[in-house]
Amino acid sequence: MERVSRRTFLQLAMTITAGLFVALWNKLAQNQLKQDEQRTRIFPFNKNKTVIFADNFIIINQEDSTTVLSAHCTHLGCKINETENGKLICPCHGSEYDLSGNVLKGPAYKSLPQLQARISDDGNQIEIQG
Amino acid sequence: MNGKKNKTTFGTVALSLFWLVLVSGVLLAVPYKVESPYLSVSGIMVANPWASLTRNLHYWSAQFFLIFSLIHLYDHFHYKERIGIKKGIAWRLSLGVLIIFMAMLTGFLLKGDADSLQARQILETLSARIPFIGQLLAYSLLGKTGDFQLIYVHHIATFTVFITIVMVEHSRRFWPSAAEFLLTTISVLAVSYLFSAPLHDNLNPTVKGPWYFVGFQEILHWLSHPEWSLLLFLAILVLIYLVNAEKGKLVFISKRSLLVVTAFYFLLTITGLFFRGERWTWILPGESNYNYSVLHNFKSPRVNFSPDFESQGTFNSPVVFGRKESCLSCHTETHGFVDSHKPEVIGCFSCHGGDPFATGKKQSHRKMILIPGNLATAQQTCGTTQCHPEIVERVPTGLMSTLSGMISVDRFVFNEQENPDILTDVHQLGNSAADEHLKNLCVRCHLGNPKMELGVINESSRGGGCLACHLNYSAEAEQLLTDSGKNIHQFHPSVSLKVTNNHCFGCHSRSGRISTNYEGWHETTLEANEMPDSSNYRLVEGTRVFTQQPEDVHHKAGMECIDCHHSYELMGDGKHYAHEEDQQDVQCIDCHIDGTPNTIAASDLDNESALIAALRFGNINNRRLLITQKHDHALINTSFENDSLFLFTKNTGIKMELKAPAIVCTRNNAHQHLACSACHSAWAPSCIGCHNTYDENEPGYDMIRNEEKIGSWVEYIGRYTAKEPALGTRTIDGNREVIPVIPGMILTIDKKSYPNAKGDSVIFHRLFAPAAPHTTSASGRDCISCHNNPVALGFGEGELTYHVEPEKGKWTFNPKYEDDPHDNLPGDAWTGFMQNRNGVVSTRTNVQPFDIEQQQKILTVGACLHCHDQKSNLMLNTLDNFNALIQKRSSRCVLPEWVNE
Repeated sequence: MERVSRRTFLQLAMTITAGLFVALWNKLAQNQLKQDEQRTRIFPFNKNKTVIFADNFIIINQEDSTTVLSAHCTHLGCKINETENGKLICPCHGSEYDLSGNVLKGPAYKSLPQLQARISDDGNQIEIQG
Repeated sequence: MNGKKNKTTFGTVALSLFWLVLVSGVLLAVPYKVESPYLSVSGIMVANPWASLTRNLHYWSAQFFLIFSLIHLYDHFHYKERIGIKKGIAWRLSLGVLIIFMAMLTGFLLKGDADSLQARQILETLSARIPFIGQLLAYSLLGKTGDFQLIYVHHIATFTVFITIVMVEHSRRFWPSAAEFLLTTISVLAVSYLFSAPLHDNLNPTVKGPWYFVGFQEILHWLSHPEWSLLLFLAILVLIYLVNAEKGKLVFISKRSLLVVTAFYFLLTITGLFFRGERWTWILPGESNYNYSVLHNFKSPRVNFSPDFESQGTFNSPVVFGRKESCLSCHTETHGFVDSHKPEVIGCFSCHGGDPFATGKKQSHRKMILIPGNLATAQQTCGTTQCHPEIVERVPTGLMSTLSGMISVDRFVFNEQENPDILTDVHQLGNSAADEHLKNLCVRCHLGNPKMELGVINESSRGGGCLACHLNYSAEAEQLLTDSGKNIHQFHPSVSLKVTNNHCFGCHSRSGRISTNYEGWHETTLEANEMPDSSNYRLVEGTRVFTQQPEDVHHKAGMECIDCHHSYELMGDGKHYAHEEDQQDVQCIDCHIDGTPNTIAASDLDNESALIAALRFGNINNRRLLITQKHDHALINTSFENDSLFLFTKNTGIKMELKAPAIVCTRNNAHQHLACSACHSAWAPSCIGCHNTYDENEPGYDMIRNEEKIGSWVEYIGRYTAKEPALGTRTIDGNREVIPVIPGMILTIDKKSYPNAKGDSVIFHRLFAPAAPHTTSASGRDCISCHNNPVALGFGEGELTYHVEPEKGKWTFNPKYEDDPHDNLPGDAWTGFMQNRNGVVSTRTNVQPFDIEQQQKILTVGACLHCHDQKSNLMLNTLDNFNALIQKRSSRCVLPEWVNE
């Protein structure tokens, strides 16, 4: 068996240790990420308001149907918090979407994702799958 | 060696600055609270000047550290052919540049304001899009959404430690020289005293990253796939590495590349900082909102060690929109607001602007909006995202803002426009004769005309944006205005839903005179000094004398303007309309219903109506409300209960039953084409004959610029009368309707008197206008008031006589006024007796006087009424089938000559 020099051994050991730390980081962060993942969120609901901005979501009511969109612009994730002339407008770089989440003006090119949601029986709350 | 060590370079100054960052950072950790970053930073600025100075020191030393480090880097490149650092160190140094940026960026995020929150989103998205490790990296860098703990840890530990290690390894120095440190500290302290570190007020819609990333934000704006921009960072790091570690031509190329990139980035930074406004749209200096959209970002109060208030007041002041406002430290005892506008809820800054984080009166009040709600600034006040943005967006489209009908008709009358129905806007007035006429005499009443002085909305008020309708002074607040020297902030006027008739009166008592009609006042041509001392007379605005006439039946019942007119009519519904009758939604038949009412459940109300209803009436969940037929808007103050309809007055809550129309109104055989107002308008004001001329020497006024001028259009009026209005027809989509009309203008305009007027010399027009007189009477006009009345038929005053001759009857008309030489019609007529009148006849394209056939039909009934009493059974029976009765008439009946058997 070939003798390994002390230097090589230490280098190897350090690399393995660094790798272990990376693995450790990966494991602990993955676990924590799962715990912190947005699960179901509940917000007050008003079916008569066309656009409701609720934290990370935009709730849109049109002609008896309710759609929930992610409020994060697909360009860089900025939170969309205003409408003008029935368009959703991102404050950071001016991307525009229609009320179905389709891009009307870039730089964004992907539609806002639609999210699963359920309205409570009394119609006063909405449960959004984050 | 010693000499080199002691030499001052950009690098050694950067080391001093780094120490300054460390020291100020540790101190800043004392007042900073990571669980509520925005609140704690605003609290530092407002209530703790020493902490504020420390924050500024931390901010400015960090900015200068970045700048000096970069210059130091350039310095090395510039003066040395080859730097020749060991590869390991070179690599760590390159990475160090990135880490310095990261340390600064996390500092920026830790403010927790609107800028920071969006920057955080961008950083998270960009990191997450790095292949393989992106999501983990983003999470490990920023932590859970809404939580700042991990960012704080990286800011104060991870990045700081890394920078320290790299710096010490690179410079072999840990301590700065005392002299350099002292000098640096004094300089940065001076800057920190003068300029505060930025903090967004969270209301201004412009959000930008830190100054050193604004150029990057510009690049991101170009890219649909912004993750590719990360390669730029990588490229720059590699270039820095190459310059530090390599030799020869590679170093030269890398240096040049870095220089070009830097120059380009500098340009982008200037662009982003000074030419990008709200939503990253282009904006140039001089544009109306440049100050608000761009310069606002540079607002930076000086630290004030002796604030104009006790800090105790600030500790106890409420938290508004997640932050502290210095305004509330002084203005502590201000009363008079409605609940939703109380300073505890929205602060002062939301409406009045200024600087919410400055602590001296002068700095706080800089650029403040003393009178909010004017349309020019409404987006910064009433219309900010948290408040009423959708209404402020709508109001400028409404007729009360555009004055489209007024302008279009005026230009039409001046022969400057082919028809009176073109959409226009008060902001597009030019210098033509008509536009000058409008500016001299008419356009003060648009909502965009700003309110410039404090005070009550009264009969002299014009315009005023949101305040025109919503401002109310309590007696105390009004008193304080007149008591000079007292604290006028103790009682604040309220901005509320209490819109009274007085709010409408200023503008609507003019021209159509709807407000005065409604209250039962008719304008006379008397001068103020001629006014009889009698309760039958009223003086308006100190000059106009009004006399009493029957008030509107709704006014008598205690109803105000807003009891009929709803928010989408008054504040616009977002559409542009040419004339008021187009924008106006509520009709008599919406409340006075024959048959099944059209209703909506309160739970199905649109948000605006629901909110207003809740504020006015509390819980109305179980009510069913009426909906308008024309535009489908809910009437929130109505209720359908047990087959009865009720109306609640909006300001006083009085409940009254809504009556169904009389049977005579709803039968379909006769009068089905009549608008309710054709019969139920008791009177309407008319002005017959008026002459307009331009006088170059007349002291006048420009109502757009709000300034006095010499030279003005002057109006010489004829005679005012109050009588039952004339009738005419309006055709909409092929449906004809008989409506009341008033002389819009029977006038002459001496157009040649206006300088540079083209074309016409003296213009003559005989135009009537559709009217909504607002003089409703419960009982309609009687039969002969239309069928035997020359005024109703449009002939003007005079003797309308039916001559019964053997076999055939003959109608004749002998006018009271002489014929006008311009068109040979009597002075007050709209149309000639037994004449057709076509062409330019009214102020609308769809309104006409009765034609010969219609005149004959009306007068045929008039012939019957010549002998038969209008209340007789026979005449009432004619309403069911007139023609059948004619066939069965007695031999003594004599019909007009035009009736063919």
